[in-house]
Amino acid sequence: MKRLALASAFAALAWPAMAEDITIGFAIAKSGWMEAYDTPAATAAKIRIYEINANGGLLGRQIKWVEADTKTDRQQSAKAGLQVIDEGADMMIVSCDYDFGAPAALSAEAEGMVSFFLCAEDVKAGIQGVGPHSFSGSVLAAVQGATMAEWSHARRGARTGYVLLDTTIEYNKGICSGFDWMFPRIDGTEIVGRDTFKNDDASIASQITRIKALPDEPDVIMLCSYIPGAASAVRQIRAAGINSLILNGSAVDGSYWLDATPDLSGFAVPVQGSIYGDDPRPEVEAFNQSYEKATGARPASSYAYPGYVLLDLWAKAVERAGSLDGASVTAELERMQGEPTAFGPRTFTADLHHQNFAEMQIVEITNGKPAVADNWTISQPVPLDVLLK
Amino acid sequence: MTNFAQLFFDATSLGGLYAMAALGIALIFGVMNLVNFAHGEYIAFCVFALIVPSTDAVAVMFLGHAPALILIPVILALGGLVAVASEYAVFRHLRRADPVAMMIASFALGFVIRNALLAAYGGRPKAISLWPGLNMPVNIAGASVPLLQLIVIVTTLLVVTGLALLLKRTRIGLEMRAAAENFTMARLLGVRANRVITGAFALSGALAAAVALIMVTQTGVADVKMGGQIMLVAFIATVLGGLGSLPGAVAAGFLVGIVSVVLQAWLPLEARPFRDAFLYTLVIVCLLLRPQGLFVPASAKPRV
Repeated sequence: MKRLALASAFAALAWPAMAEDITIGFAIAKSGWMEAYDTPAATAAKIRIYEINANGGLLGRQIKWVEADTKTDRQQSAKAGLQVIDEGADMMIVSCDYDFGAPAALSAEAEGMVSFFLCAEDVKAGIQGVGPHSFSGSVLAAVQGATMAEWSHARRGARTGYVLLDTTIEYNKGICSGFDWMFPRIDGTEIVGRDTFKNDDASIASQITRIKALPDEPDVIMLCSYIPGAASAVRQIRAAGINSLILNGSAVDGSYWLDATPDLSGFAVPVQGSIYGDDPRPEVEAFNQSYEKATGARPASSYAYPGYVLLDLWAKAVERAGSLDGASVTAELERMQGEPTAFGPRTFTADLHHQNFAEMQIVEITNGKPAVADNWTISQPVPLDVLLK
Repeated sequence: MTNFAQLFFDATSLGGLYAMAALGIALIFGVMNLVNFAHGEYIAFCVFALIVPSTDAVAVMFLGHAPALILIPVILALGGLVAVASEYAVFRHLRRADPVAMMIASFALGFVIRNALLAAYGGRPKAISLWPGLNMPVNIAGASVPLLQLIVIVTTLLVVTGLALLLKRTRIGLEMRAAAENFTMARLLGVRANRVITGAFALSGALAAAVALIMVTQTGVADVKMGGQIMLVAFIATVLGGLGSLPGAVAAGFLVGIVSVVLQAWLPLEARPFRDAFLYTLVIVCLLLRPQGLFVPASAKPRV
């Protein structure tokens, strides 16, 4: 019943915007394979809109939204961006992935409008790729790799690392570049080997043969990949009897893929918040419950969270700027230094509209059960030249 | 020597998988000059048939619950069925159309199957634990080989031998070979077109199902895009082997798999991300030298 009530509240909000309302344009994938990633984050953003409206709105005005479907297609993405602008968007939210979100974000940029990627983790999804009004709600991939490097050494005594990079997408390279930057900086560590594969490789038997040919099993394997390739790689690595601690980025958060390797242990990922009900911060669990009320299910992965964070930060910037103007809101966003959110502090600067430094929860899978094992903040931000590598 | 044995098993198991996929494509090309680009989607369809249709993130086993003795024939039959159904619904009406129109139709059919899967199962890849025990390594000749790799190699040999016997020793096989040689002439001599074509589609679909079972056991995941890469490799193998030549498709499938694994093992790290570029450069070189395909007699006239 509650679910219905919230759904109808959403529906009422989605009516064509009135002049006095603030309009947010969602140019996201509502069909095609990207939909599974965009919908949770967009839902999280709408939950924040609902909360803001319930508290009297933004600048005394209610927030409404309009949506256009990118159909997981780059050309359609540009069209969807223009469509939400035509429908009066004051700010644009685009697809999770840089490749699919950028065409829409560029149309917002051309209008001097602020745009946010739902959860892009490539530095290009911001000033460096789209332009000065483009932001991302997530934490850079390189920070995730660097976090795993430092954490695995400090808490698991990792001294030897092996890097297994899936060269299919830029996100993976970001994770590995963060690990490659951080791990060798720590005293007494060594990267003992590296190899590459492709996400849709039918088999990684020869990559496994190379790991098994090492004189000693590495302490950690930094796997830079995403589902399905990551699940397939983990299954094959464990089946071959390699017991190293396997690390990955946030992309493989969620327990939905664990059936691929029954009783998996020794697998850890960094996340912005835990979906498993054990996050040390009560705000995170409160969000999980609102999400369940709105959709009938808890988030399937931590990729819902950046949607909530970005809307929260943008609304604060608008409140402070006292206007919806792209340049003024951008200036306010760039003033944010350690701005508190439910998922940890966030910082934007005039050089970087991304998080190059963030507290992350470490989720470790033991006997097929994921749980927060620790939290970790890297000792120094990832420098821009590593991000741009 | 250990290294060589390991390389041999890694390479031939991947080659076997590609060979089976290539054979599925070559069979249909042989009887009706159709490059069936929906073949990859048949593979994905068979994998998804293992789980209950739902857009939830967690997959629940459906056919996957059945014991192997029942599951294998059921999935093979299902693969055959979906291929035969697509012939009946689409390709039968295009029999007089030119091959390009049929090829476009096969793209469209693949698109329909893929989007039907997306609608029924959602865009998120699903995890399926089918026979995880088969990935346990066994030691042979100093190499550590997952049982599944051995099964793939043996299955490929059995399938190829079985098919060779079928083609050489049975009436339908004779008709298929006659149809592959010269379809019009075969019909004039009393070969029933529908029977031959349906038979080829059924076999091709069953081969797609076999590839599906192997892939899902190996990787543990179901993804709507999973048929794409293997379809591409298989198509290249059929061209490389000589379009329309069944032994050629098998040999070229093996060759592509073996070269891919050898490149992965021997290329220096900096060049390894470009493994496929090297692989396909070799394919181009082969086709420049022998445009009719590697494994057909030089006297055979080019078919495309």
